[in-house]
Amino acid sequence: MKNAGELSRRQILAAAGFIGLATLTGCGSGDGGGDSKDLSKKQNGAMKHYRAGQQFKATKALSFSMLHNDNPVYPLKSGWLFWKEVTKRTGVTIKPVDVPLADYEKKRSVLIGAGDAPFLIPKTYHPSEVAFVSSGAILPVSDYVHLMPNFQDKVRRWKLEPELDSIRQSDGKYYLLPGLHEKPKSGYSLSLRTDVLDKHGLSLPTTWDEVHDVLTALKQEYPGKYPWTDRWSTNTPFPCGALFQYLGQAYGVKAGWAYDNLSFDTRAKKFVFTATQDAYRQMIEYLRGLVAEKLLDPESFTQQDDQAVQKLLAEKSYVISANPQELVQNYRYNLNKQVKGATIEMVPVPLGPAGPVLLSGIRLENGVMVSSKALKSSDFVAMMQFVDWLWYSDDGQKFCKWGVEGVTYTESGGKYTLKPGISLMGSDPDAPKDLQKDYGFFNGVFTYGGSWELVSSNFGPDEKKFQDAMSQRKELPVDPAHPLQSSEQEQATLWDTPLKDAAIQNTLQFVLGKRPMSEWDQHIAELKAKNMQQLVDLHNKAYERFQKENG
Amino acid sequence: MVRPSRSYRVFQGVNGVVLTLVVLVTLYPFVNIVARSFSGERQVRAGEVTLWPKGFSLTTYDIVFHDSMFWRNYGNTVFYTVVSTAVAMFLTACYAYVLSKKHLKGRTALVGVAVFTMFFTGGLIPNYVLVTSLGLKNTVWAIALPNAISVFNLLVMKAFFESLPTELEEAAQIDGLSTYGILLRIVLPLSKAVVATMVLFYSVSFWNSWFSAFLYMDSSDLMPVTVYLRNLIAGATGGGNAGATTEQLSQVGATIQSVAIVLTALPILCVYPFVQRYFVSGVMLGAVKG
Repeated sequence: MKNAGELSRRQILAAAGFIGLATLTGCGSGDGGGDSKDLSKKQNGAMKHYRAGQQFKATKALSFSMLHNDNPVYPLKSGWLFWKEVTKRTGVTIKPVDVPLADYEKKRSVLIGAGDAPFLIPKTYHPSEVAFVSSGAILPVSDYVHLMPNFQDKVRRWKLEPELDSIRQSDGKYYLLPGLHEKPKSGYSLSLRTDVLDKHGLSLPTTWDEVHDVLTALKQEYPGKYPWTDRWSTNTPFPCGALFQYLGQAYGVKAGWAYDNLSFDTRAKKFVFTATQDAYRQMIEYLRGLVAEKLLDPESFTQQDDQAVQKLLAEKSYVISANPQELVQNYRYNLNKQVKGATIEMVPVPLGPAGPVLLSGIRLENGVMVSSKALKSSDFVAMMQFVDWLWYSDDGQKFCKWGVEGVTYTESGGKYTLKPGISLMGSDPDAPKDLQKDYGFFNGVFTYGGSWELVSSNFGPDEKKFQDAMSQRKELPVDPAHPLQSSEQEQATLWDTPLKDAAIQNTLQFVLGKRPMSEWDQHIAELKAKNMQQLVDLHNKAYERFQKENG
Repeated sequence: MVRPSRSYRVFQGVNGVVLTLVVLVTLYPFVNIVARSFSGERQVRAGEVTLWPKGFSLTTYDIVFHDSMFWRNYGNTVFYTVVSTAVAMFLTACYAYVLSKKHLKGRTALVGVAVFTMFFTGGLIPNYVLVTSLGLKNTVWAIALPNAISVFNLLVMKAFFESLPTELEEAAQIDGLSTYGILLRIVLPLSKAVVATMVLFYSVSFWNSWFSAFLYMDSSDLMPVTVYLRNLIAGATGGGNAGATTEQLSQVGATIQSVAIVLTALPILCVYPFVQRYFVSGVMLGAVKG
């Protein structure tokens, strides 16, 4: 009897402990589930009828904490007009937690891991949000976009659903509010010394065949030089990341910085391994030809950026990859100082077998994560409306980029002009004030994406010409969603990296002629030995599962 | 005096040559960095700078010096270093002195506690949670306290205290000094060499440290200069982000790393000769005793 009594007391204790634990954990998951349906208690300061295109104004003064990526070019100042004007227009005060740009990601992980993250976590690049999904520390924002009319409106009008699908996790939700672009913005292409071309009666190439012809002609004029030397080979697993990316685009494959082991074959309706596609092989053969004919400097794949630029400035070569900023601020600027009469131009990406296309997925930008703690706050609805206005409304985006009309800029007919005395990125070296440094506008934390009119409103003449040409091209379809479950993810990571390394290493070996093309089949067999097929199958399984579950 | 033998003189000659070479090899990178920091951007990019600045330019120094944030953060560094070193010296000296007493009960356990932390740490996030919940965030204590005792320094100091003759302390005790009196009036004055070394070790490490400040400070006003320069390098070398005029930007990008190194190393370099005196005397002390 006594024994039984004692035992039962212990049992009760154990049971009580167990129940306590269960309620605790239950509470954790229950909170999200129950509250996501019922937002009626979280309306503090929110607008009842907030619509797209409408000015958001909190009905009570509110403040939200936000992680701020501190750019040394325009270090955060509490006196920025930006902060004051945000509060004036919306009734919301942003409380920035200032993190130096150099180690933003590191501090972000610590803060989220320690449960000390601010409500708003911007400047997050997909897929870095995936690491935080399983911890439950960040909100599945897709459940709450109904509070964000401007966001939804832009997704609908610009047909961005497929892009959003591509960032969904295995639960069918996405955890990042990405920046949205109306049109894809291109970054990199080839730049050539136009004065040298003119001297020899050559014109700027528009296709990769013409690129080959121009380089051959240059080689005949300067037999001792490599006409093309390239850069962006350091700090990346894929050397010549820019070159491979835009050359790959012309062949319709992901290479260089855009490289991913998996590509979707739209005809076969399944995923395939990128580096074994026929088009990928053709791309390798093209570049291999350039190296073999000594048209492209083999050091391109190993040298530092500075060395490549130095060769251009010393006239050891005449062709190099560029983006609009580097073209103007580095190549052209330094060439003007060192080489008399030198001119350099960037061409729209030359066309290849894939025709006038752009790689997909570039209409999403970095974006905002929301801490799960925010959902417990009674200001939650107002906060989502505020985020919607500041980051996604036309007015909000224009405000973040250009500031206050009449104070920092004037606008007429879609053309934005800064007020006299205000400079932007060195536009007026004598101006006493700077739009970024002194007013806090054009801040990378808030300014990205938007309508083409707004995105293109600050292009210089070179960039405008380049982007106008590029925006005529058709975007390739986005890869369909194929999110892995967490156990699959671990397995996939183990296969993914060695395969990627092998693919890249061999790409370079073939390009540099260290491996004959006759060994291509052997190369594929080596990849198979590294579980290539298993990886592809895993992703195809995830793709089919997602199709079944989410239509 | 015995005349040095011929072979000894040869040895000295060779020794001199070899050591001079070592000195040159050690000094060269630093001189090169200093030269680069004063050089023009084109010369730096072309790799023309070796021992003397070429295309003399002060643009980068000028930009860095004219930023009020630089001076504020430099002030922070000085403040953090002084406070943290003082705290660290106090705690380390007390701990080491106690441990040096052979008759102390539980001495092994106390040593064990310290040594344990040499091999195992709680990890980044638990540390962060601890510091945050103690309310130390955004204060100098977040930097000073978690790093106050370096076990290596502690053990060195303990060994030094142990090497002092116990008779000295016994004599002082007979003359009526209390425990604290012995530590302050007898032991510490005799330990100038080790104290100076420890001050140097601690202050150099606090001066150069950036991670705790980066982790526990939420505003750029509170950052030490190391974080400022680190961020500046990231911004200047991060490509396309133009802020200064194009000409300045290009110059800053080329020399900012060397300027940053010179600016952070300079104060410690200035302190070093004054502290070094104690190293030498410390070594001599040991040598005569036999």
